[in-house]
Amino acid sequence: MNEPELEQLAQRLGARAAERLDVERTAQAVVTRLREAPRVSVVTRLWMQPAWLKVAATVVLLLGASAVTRGVWYRERLAPAGGEAAAAGLNELSTDQLQRLLEIVDQATDEAAPLSPADASLDDLTAPQLRELLRSLEG
Amino acid sequence: MPHAEPVAAVPTDAALIAAWQGGDEQAAAQLVRRHARALARFLAGAGAPDADVDDLVQETFIRAFRGVDRFRGQCRFRTWLLTIGGNVLKDAVRRARRAKVVPLADELRATDGDPHERAVAGEAEGRLREGLGRLSRMQREVFLLRAQQGLEYDEIAAALGTSPGAARVHYHHAVKRLKEHLA
Repeated sequence: MNEPELEQLAQRLGARAAERLDVERTAQAVVTRLREAPRVSVVTRLWMQPAWLKVAATVVLLLGASAVTRGVWYRERLAPAGGEAAAAGLNELSTDQLQRLLEIVDQATDEAAPLSPADASLDDLTAPQLRELLRSLEG
Repeated sequence: MPHAEPVAAVPTDAALIAAWQGGDEQAAAQLVRRHARALARFLAGAGAPDADVDDLVQETFIRAFRGVDRFRGQCRFRTWLLTIGGNVLKDAVRRARRAKVVPLADELRATDGDPHERAVAGEAEGRLREGLGRLSRMQREVFLLRAQQGLEYDEIAAALGTSPGAARVHYHHAVKRLKEHLA
């Protein structure tokens, strides 16, 4: 079979299906469907695809799991920070305020207990402990 | 001396599209009347089962009218419509494959359930359908747009988003493979 014969054959292809088609009925059916079904935007149509719904559900699950994990991690990280908060408070004092604080502390009971910042707040520290802490903060 | 009846101007596709965009349903109906048979031939040639051609034609027009804002006259409306028909057919085949496990080539070859009609249509036509079912989608559509619909390569290339040279190559590959199949 040569090319022109092949083209002739191709032109006959689908001829019966085309003849059988009731064009007027098809035209009316199309118009009716256009009238009845609301026009859906491209975005909405994308979201209506099952694949997109699966992707969206996966993303929501991942975001939820990540939020929960981050919440737990933050709580664990912030819990032992009491002593650090006290030290951070000292950082905000001026030199004059620090000197006055030292004077006040000097008047208090002189007790040489080992420094244990993990379980101590500023109010609980003894004079030597505070002095040591101040020295370390002043460098 | 008899007066010649004034011939009513036939509205162009572009005018009908504009009218449809303006809300004229009859303009849409007229576009369906104008292009439905060519679309049916294309779909049947591309492997649509005869029983489904009517539904596929309707679905193609619905998609085309809803997405007509994307048609910018890069090719003729009919050519654009045929490429949408190709997408509609591809989706239908995919849905059918999901519903029952049938190889794509077999699905496309199963074009008519009536053996008598198939016999009437002729063996060569049936074998051509078989051969088309074995081509890639691009080769099949380029072949049908060129051989069945008589389009130029420029027009085919614009509709299928390829170059005229590539369309020509696809056509020649399709012809070569179809000749081998029909030999």
